[in-house]
Amino acid sequence: MAESAASHTTAPTRRDFLTLLTAATGAVAAGAILWPVIDALNPDAASEDAARLIVNVADIAEGTAKTVQWAGLPITIRKLTTAETQANEFVVPESLPDPAGYTSRVNAGYPAFVVVVGLNTATPCTLEGDAASDPRGDFGGWVCPCDGSEYDPLGRVRKGPATKNLAIPRYSFLDAAQIKLG
Amino acid sequence: MTTHSKTSWAATRLPCLGSLCATFNTKNRAPDAPYVQAFPFLITVAAAFLTLSGIVLAVYYNPWHAFDSVQFIDRDVNNGWLIRAYHATGTTLIFGLTYWYLFRAMLSRSYRAPGEFVWLLSVKLLVVLLLTGWLGYVLTGGAAGYWSLFNASNAALSLGGLPGAVGTWFFGGPAAVGGTLTQTGGGTLARLEVFHGLLAASVLLLLWLIHASRKTISAPVTSQRAVAFYPYYVAQYFAALAVFAFIFVLLAFYAPHLGTSHFNNIPADSLAVPVGAGVPWYLAPAAGLVGVFASATLSIIAGIAAVAVLYALPWLDRSGINGATGKVYGFFIRLLALDIIGLGIAANTHCSSSAILAGVFTAWYFFHFLVITPVVTALEAE
Repeated sequence: MAESAASHTTAPTRRDFLTLLTAATGAVAAGAILWPVIDALNPDAASEDAARLIVNVADIAEGTAKTVQWAGLPITIRKLTTAETQANEFVVPESLPDPAGYTSRVNAGYPAFVVVVGLNTATPCTLEGDAASDPRGDFGGWVCPCDGSEYDPLGRVRKGPATKNLAIPRYSFLDAAQIKLG
Repeated sequence: MTTHSKTSWAATRLPCLGSLCATFNTKNRAPDAPYVQAFPFLITVAAAFLTLSGIVLAVYYNPWHAFDSVQFIDRDVNNGWLIRAYHATGTTLIFGLTYWYLFRAMLSRSYRAPGEFVWLLSVKLLVVLLLTGWLGYVLTGGAAGYWSLFNASNAALSLGGLPGAVGTWFFGGPAAVGGTLTQTGGGTLARLEVFHGLLAASVLLLLWLIHASRKTISAPVTSQRAVAFYPYYVAQYFAALAVFAFIFVLLAFYAPHLGTSHFNNIPADSLAVPVGAGVPWYLAPAAGLVGVFASATLSIIAGIAAVAVLYALPWLDRSGINGATGKVYGFFIRLLALDIIGLGIAANTHCSSSAILAGVFTAWYFFHFLVITPVVTALEAE
């Protein structure tokens, strides 16, 4: 008992210090060797850049949409008019085929923009309705030219055969004029 | 105590696990053991580097665009240049250590019983390394590697019977090698990439076997200076590792592609033969030996015979288990080392006399093992 108490109070020896120093040096060396190997499996700068497309949304007129290609998908960015927002903001979600509220379809900071994958969720066709002159169906959003499914301006399905809302891609607003996809 | 009880808990449930772990714990090592005792450990460290970097290279390597994918690794992949330097330097060091280890084993006559099994495994290691190294050199898709593959595969495909069938299987047939699929034989490189990885795995297996069999033959140290306690008996390996690390860093940052042909820095072109392209230094002696013979059949026989005489060394040595280790035979072993270096230089020099020299060096290689070894060791043992 006295011995263990004595060993607790003993100051670290030279050997303790050297052991600690060796272990620390070894850990740093192993990390320095392994980190480049691990980091090499991270995506390189060029592919990272290509995978994160920045889209200018300042040139989208109210009531129209523009479609860009990203990750092999047509990404449709639509700027809502005040009338479109008002018409869809308070629709009871449970009354829809695929219930989804207004806030789940737009970005809280920039509620005028709807960003969706512009592919019909039943027959995979590119939707019509980006330009004001396009057919937009009874709900003023998009219409599928292949099977006649109709979507509202928030990208929610309103009329079949489609049963799912338009998918929302990964995106974030850099500022009011730029969206970064991916 | 905790470690011991854990080991035995696992070992009682999977007995081979205990012996697997025990392979790496060789107690009662003399603190003043010769440096060459650390070589299998250092070869394993080099193999670990090659495995680590090889995994990353395999992720980005594309056999159908071999040269371009290597350029992509060098230029675009995060730290890709460093990963390639790891792989190239690991290759340089694993060959340097293995050649040196075999040379020291011959010099100290440690291939004699009870060390003959370790010797056989070490020769196998060299053979597998040579094959793996050649495949890796070919996979770069550079001009030198491409023409090395072109010559070897054409020779293999020209053979008849079973050797020809094996060659066709190995290289994937003339369509995969030649210019019909792609310019640089992507079909062949795709399968050679797989073989490269499989052989690398067998290198790791061989190293484990070497560690295990060395343990059984290392006599316990009886002197007062023997160290039995972990980590003191591994401390000497840290010293060896520090020297290894220093040389590794020097090579990786100043000469990553030491001793390889500059022609491998230009893409392969099936219409332009690079004049004067040589094989990397670590393949040069073997290339010189098989290159002496004009016919493919003779080359293959010579290559097999060269390994066979090395393999048979424990039995060609007639000095007996506890026989004397004479100075004359030691001289001849050093001469053999110079002969092998000369063979490598002759293989990479392109002048009129290099073919003759390669022939002389090859003849001396076989003469050393088949005549000098039995005669001199028998005479010196008396």
